[in-house]
Amino acid sequence: MSMLSRVAERLFWMARYLERAEDTARLIHAYTHMVMDIPKGSEPGWDILVRILDAEPNFAQHYRAYNEQNVMKFLIAEPDNPGGILSAIRAARENVRTTRDVLPGEVWEHVNELYLYAQEFAEKSISRRNRYQFLETVIARCQMINGMVVSTLPRGHAYRFIKLGQLLERADMTTRVVDVGAAALLGDERLHSTVDPLIWTSLLNSLSAMGAYRREIGPQVEAGAMVDFVLRTDTLPRSVKFCLNGIRKELVPLNNNRDALALVIKARRKLSAFDPQQCSREELHLFIDRFQFILTQLYNSIDRTWFMTEERQALTTLT
Amino acid sequence: MSLGLAQRSRALNCFIDDIYNRQKILADGIVPADIVLDSGNYKAPCAGVSPRYGAWAHICGTDLVRDQRGKFYVLEDNLRVPSGVSYMLENREITKRVLPELLENYSIQPVDDYPSRLHSTLASLSPRPLRRPCIVVLTPGIYNSAYFEHAFLAQRMGAELVEGSDLFVDADDALYMRTVDGPIRVDVVYRRIDDDFLDPEVFREDSALGVPGIMRAWKAGNVAIANAPGAGVADDKVVYAFVPDMIRYYLDEQPLLASVKTYLCMHEKDRNYVLANLDKLVVKPANESGGYGLMIGPHASKARRAEFAKLIEDNPRNYIAQPVLSLSTAPTYIDDHVEPRHLDLRPFILQGKDTWVTRAA
Repeated sequence: MSMLSRVAERLFWMARYLERAEDTARLIHAYTHMVMDIPKGSEPGWDILVRILDAEPNFAQHYRAYNEQNVMKFLIAEPDNPGGILSAIRAARENVRTTRDVLPGEVWEHVNELYLYAQEFAEKSISRRNRYQFLETVIARCQMINGMVVSTLPRGHAYRFIKLGQLLERADMTTRVVDVGAAALLGDERLHSTVDPLIWTSLLNSLSAMGAYRREIGPQVEAGAMVDFVLRTDTLPRSVKFCLNGIRKELVPLNNNRDALALVIKARRKLSAFDPQQCSREELHLFIDRFQFILTQLYNSIDRTWFMTEERQALTTLT
Repeated sequence: MSLGLAQRSRALNCFIDDIYNRQKILADGIVPADIVLDSGNYKAPCAGVSPRYGAWAHICGTDLVRDQRGKFYVLEDNLRVPSGVSYMLENREITKRVLPELLENYSIQPVDDYPSRLHSTLASLSPRPLRRPCIVVLTPGIYNSAYFEHAFLAQRMGAELVEGSDLFVDADDALYMRTVDGPIRVDVVYRRIDDDFLDPEVFREDSALGVPGIMRAWKAGNVAIANAPGAGVADDKVVYAFVPDMIRYYLDEQPLLASVKTYLCMHEKDRNYVLANLDKLVVKPANESGGYGLMIGPHASKARRAEFAKLIEDNPRNYIAQPVLSLSTAPTYIDDHVEPRHLDLRPFILQGKDTWVTRAA
């Protein structure tokens, strides 16, 4: 049984948006936690979170100051921010609405409930007091939906394209998380000694990787080792290496996969050749930038090969 | 009832096939040629096509009503893209839950084989003799009011729910759908979009819902479309008045079901009667559906009746009038109490290799 390109595309984006909502929630959660541990005056700014998501131009259209209130509003409740939690959940729901017939019935119900929950509570969850509960609920519900997919969806095209969307988004987000660590501290030497470990720890927390890091490497979080760990540990589900391996596995059974597979191989090669322990922060930032470009190419290849209809191809050539 | 509906569907299909081919019924003067050929529902690009089994209106949703004496009448035949069958199926599910005694105490026919009957009917139309032909349900998309039904039927039939942009016609004049494994040939399209939007090459150029070239593929016999384009020619309130004549003409049988007495405003005698009795009649435009643009004389204001008198005089072909029937009612739950509400019944008649009629609601 094959699958319509349009349906595959919508499933891919449903998974991408759900993963985005979860990852953004994790990031805000971990960052808020960290900020509370840092004495007033020396904490890094809230603008970092907006920068991670490359959302400065969009932010500037709605707000002026990068204060906690504005940034939280923008990342949690802003309907016009595609990286924001509320709008990502809404976009996920729109994509499931038209593909529910290829998914287990409960998936639609739970995505819809998640949307109703976010719609009711996003705006009320900007303050620190309510924020935790909201973020934790979003994360837990996203994981519940993932669990349903893993435990009930037959391993066919639907599963494959959901996995591709999820892993691609996750790989992208993990590189962004690493980049924030690099960017947060660039050119601000006075913070390094005290704040540095706190930032890296919070970033590990946002990837649910602190426990694994302690067991594998030790309790002391150090920049080079942390970056190496989240980029290249092939057993860690949120590491870039793990995501690339997963993407490869889902690509293999698809027709016309040559182009996309070549890009995955290229990305893996870049990752192996890079040594986070030996590089400066500028070099790390540059690496992430280039690596994200490969991920974009990979998305374009998936889009071109399996999603794009002829009309859209014609439109692209025109513009 | 079932025999009467099947008889009607057979005659209507004979009529449509005749109109787009030999036009015998017009030549023999049974139905006036101008009311058929000048109608917006007559689609010239369909002329000369002979779908399998002579079937054009594969899915027909006929409206039945019952008057104060308990007699059933056919109110209209919906031959374009009739909807509502999913309500019948879902309603039965709910009834089983809410009123289980009802089904225990009465002998009530099952309804849930409709999707599989529809599937067999559609499969019988496939141009390629495959064991499992590729059947798709073509929907205008999520914003259509009947989208739920499109998705529901596709799922129950195990057919693919497609939008226009999922399909394309290739140089071989065959229809394909775009899938992740590449193009897959489509044999039968159960389309739920109107003729006018079906193919921008032939009908409305600005249609983004349809499939360019699908008419070419259909005329080449490479794909079946249900209902066939142009089937709406028999779905017209003026043509309705001639259905009993069609049954006698094509089938040489007497009509088993009654039609409502219909005055055709195009005939001078009928028109004069209608204009003199506007307060006693229902006036309907000839080719609207869903109750749009009609006037119920006894309930209409003087001004509204005058407005309709003018409409009729300006464009008599476009109006018919019928006596007001006192329709039967059913107890209906309104807010927190039960009230009587008028009802009409919509059985569905399937016409492919065989004819099949839904037998319960």
